[in-house]
Amino acid sequence: MIRVGALFWLVLVSGTAFAMFGVKYQVQALEDELARAKRATAAEEHEIRVLDAEWAYLTRPEMLEAMNRRFLSLSPISTKQLRTSVNDIPMRPPPPPEDAVAVAVAEAGASPPAPEGVPTNAAAPVATAAAEPPRTQSALRVMPALLEKPSAAPQLAATMPVKAAVKAAAPRRAKSLGDLIAQITASR
Amino acid sequence: MLATQPFDDNPCRPRHFKPPPCAPVVPDGPARRALEGCRARLFFTSIVFACVFAAVGLRIVEIVVFEGGSAQSHMPRFRLPALPVPSRADIVDRNGKLLATTLDSPSVYANPKQILDPADATRKLVKTFPGLQSEEIYAKLTSGKSFVYIKRHLTPREQYEVNQLGIPGVQFQHEERRVYPDGRLTAHVVGYAGIDNSGFAGIERGLDETLKDRRDPVQLSLDLRIQYVLHEELQRVIDDFTAKAAAGLIMDVNTGEVLAMVSLPDFDPNHPGAPDPDQPGLSFADRMFNRDTLGVYELGSIFKIFTVAMALDCGTSTLASTYDATHPIHIGRFSIGDYHGKHRVLSVPEILMYSSNIGAAKMAMAAGSQRQREYLTRLGLLKTPKIEVSEVGAPHFPGKWRDVNVMTIAFGHGISVTPLSFASAAAALVNGGVLRPATLVKRPPGAVPQGQQVISARTSEQMRKLMRLVVEHGTGTQAAAPGYVVGGKTGTADKVSGRHYAETKLLSSFVGIFPMNDPKYLVLTMIDEPHPNKESHGYATAGWTVAPATSRIIQRIAPLLGVEPVDEASPEIQRALMVESLQGKKIEAY
Repeated sequence: MIRVGALFWLVLVSGTAFAMFGVKYQVQALEDELARAKRATAAEEHEIRVLDAEWAYLTRPEMLEAMNRRFLSLSPISTKQLRTSVNDIPMRPPPPPEDAVAVAVAEAGASPPAPEGVPTNAAAPVATAAAEPPRTQSALRVMPALLEKPSAAPQLAATMPVKAAVKAAAPRRAKSLGDLIAQITASR
Repeated sequence: MLATQPFDDNPCRPRHFKPPPCAPVVPDGPARRALEGCRARLFFTSIVFACVFAAVGLRIVEIVVFEGGSAQSHMPRFRLPALPVPSRADIVDRNGKLLATTLDSPSVYANPKQILDPADATRKLVKTFPGLQSEEIYAKLTSGKSFVYIKRHLTPREQYEVNQLGIPGVQFQHEERRVYPDGRLTAHVVGYAGIDNSGFAGIERGLDETLKDRRDPVQLSLDLRIQYVLHEELQRVIDDFTAKAAAGLIMDVNTGEVLAMVSLPDFDPNHPGAPDPDQPGLSFADRMFNRDTLGVYELGSIFKIFTVAMALDCGTSTLASTYDATHPIHIGRFSIGDYHGKHRVLSVPEILMYSSNIGAAKMAMAAGSQRQREYLTRLGLLKTPKIEVSEVGAPHFPGKWRDVNVMTIAFGHGISVTPLSFASAAAALVNGGVLRPATLVKRPPGAVPQGQQVISARTSEQMRKLMRLVVEHGTGTQAAAPGYVVGGKTGTADKVSGRHYAETKLLSSFVGIFPMNDPKYLVLTMIDEPHPNKESHGYATAGWTVAPATSRIIQRIAPLLGVEPVDEASPEIQRALMVESLQGKKIEAY
C-alpha cells in the first residue's frame, strides 16, 4: 500500500516540477517578448521623431518657395482673385457674332486643303487643348471657333474629321446666375 | 604510502603479513536475496539515468545538427536597457508644424584603460572623423583616465562607421540633441537649448520647466507661414534701405496671441555660436538680441495714437477740437516743430493724419501730465511686458513728469518701450478698448482672458476711424492694401546719439491694423537706421519704408488668415468709418 502511495506522490511531485518549470520558461519567454516589443516600439518612436524632424525640415517655407519657383511658379493670391460670393463671379462673355465665325470658316476654305493624314493626327491634341491654337496648320486655326459653334461649319465637317471629338450641341448661354442654375436643374 | 599496499589498507597489520588467498564467499539464504535486490535496484537506477542522459544527448544532437543552432534559448538573455523617453517636449506652431524637437544623437567615448593599441585606435578614429586632431586623440587615449569623449553628437551614419571599426574600449553614450528644423526663421521666439538640454534663450528658456516636465508638445500661437512672410518682407526692407536692423510682430488684436515675431539680424539656433556667413562682422550678442521684447525704443509718432485716444477718452478734446500748429513750440532749450508742417490750425483728425508734433503736444498739455501718466500706466506701457520668452526689456520714462516730458511723450520721444508693449496697447485701442496680455502660447477658443477695459468702446471706435483716415489720406497712404481696409499710423523717430537726437539716424515704424471696420490683426514693423534709396525719392521715413512693406505683408497674410477682402468703397464700410467732423470738408492730401 505504501508503495502505491509513494508512487502516487512521486508522480505528483515530478508532474508539478515539470509544470512549474514549463510555466517559468513560458513566463520568461513572454517577458523577453514584452521587452523586445517595448524596445521595438521605442525604436519606432525614435525613428518617427527623426522622420518628423526631417519632414519639418523639408517642408519649411523657404524650401517650399524654392520648390514652387522651380516647378510650379504659383504666386500669392491677389485680392482680385478672391471672390467671397458666387454673385461676384462674372458671366462668360457673349459669343462672337455669327459673321465672325463665317469669315473664319471662309478663310479656312480658301487655304490649300490639308494633306489627308494630318488633320486626323492633329485632331486629338486640338480637341483637348482648344485654348492654344496650333501654329502649323492654317486650316486648324478656326478650331476655337468650331468648338464654340460646331453647327456653323457644315462644309468643313466633310474634310475635318475633328468634328467627332466636338460636343454635338452647345447649351444655350445663361444670361444670369439664376438662369444658369435653372439650366443645370433642367439638364438633370 | 597507502598506494604501496594495494591489497590491504589496514594500517595496524604487520607489513610482512600477507592474508591467505581464499575462495569467494557465496552467501546463502537471506543474504543472497538481499544482494539480488540491491543489484536489481542498481540496474533500475542505471536504466533511468541512461534514459535521461540519452534524452539530453539526443536533444543536443537535435539542437546542434538538425536545427543548425537556431533553437530558441531559454537562458535569460542579456537585457538591453530600454531607450529613455526624450527629456524635453517638442515645440510646435499653432498648426502643429514642428519648431523644435529632441533627437537621439549618441556620443562616442573611450575607456583608455581598455584600449590595447592607442596608436592604431587613433589612426582609425581620425580616418573616420577627419575633423579630429590625431595628437589630441592619442593624448586622450594614453591619458590613463577611464572616460574620455572622442566626439559628441554623432549622426546615425557616423555611429555605424565607429561600430564598424570595432575598437575595444570605444563605446557609445546615449545623448540627446535639440533640433530646430526651421532654423533662423523662429530663432528669437523659440530660442535654443544647450548641449545638456537646458534652455538658454526664448521659449526654451522661458518655459524651461514646462518643457522638461511634459511629454506633449507645447503649442505656440505662432503661425509659421505668417512668420515666414514677415521675415521675408522685413529682410527685403533691410536690403532695400541698407538698414541696420528690423523688427516686426503680428498680433491677433482680439486675443493677444502673437502670430509672428521677427527680429533681424538673427541667428541659427542649431549652431547658435557660429558666425553669420552673410555678415561675419556681426557679434553674437547683436544677433541674439530680441528687438521685439528686449529692445526699448523711442518709437516716435506712432505714439500719437495714445495721445489722441487719451484726449478723446477723458474728454479734453473731441474730434472737432482744433489746435493751432502754425508756429513751433519753444519750451526751455527745446523747440518742437512739424516734419511736414501745414502751418495752420489743425483739427484732431488732421493732427493724426498729418502727424503734427505741435498739435499732439498741445493736446497732451490740455489733458495734463497726471492723465497722460495714468493712461500710459493703464495701457501697460510703463511696466515690463510679460510674455513667455525670458528676454523682456523694462521701459524707460522720466521719473519726474515735467511739461516738456508731457509734450515730447505726446509724440513718442522721451519714453522708450518695447515694440511688444506698444503692440498690446495699440491692439487695445482698436479692439473696443480691452487690454489683453500678449502671449506666444496658443489660446484655445474658450480660454481668451477677460482683459481689462482701458478706454471706452466709443473712443476705440473713434480711434479706428482716425487710423483709417491716416492710411486713406494721411502719412500712411502707401500701407493701403486694396480690399483689406487697412488703418494705421506712421512713426519716424530721430535716434538718440550721445546726448542729442541725430537727425540722420532714424527709427521708422508703422503700426497697421486690418480690417479697420472689424479689427482682427495688427502688424507692427520697425526699421533701424534706414537709408534713402532711389525708389523712396530720398526719404527714409516710415511712410516710404515700412508702410509699403506693411501693405505687402497684409496682402500676403490676409488670405492665409481667412480675412475676406471687401469693397472699400461700399456704402456700409464708408459709413462705418466716416469721421463726422470732417464731413463736407475737403481733405487735403498729405
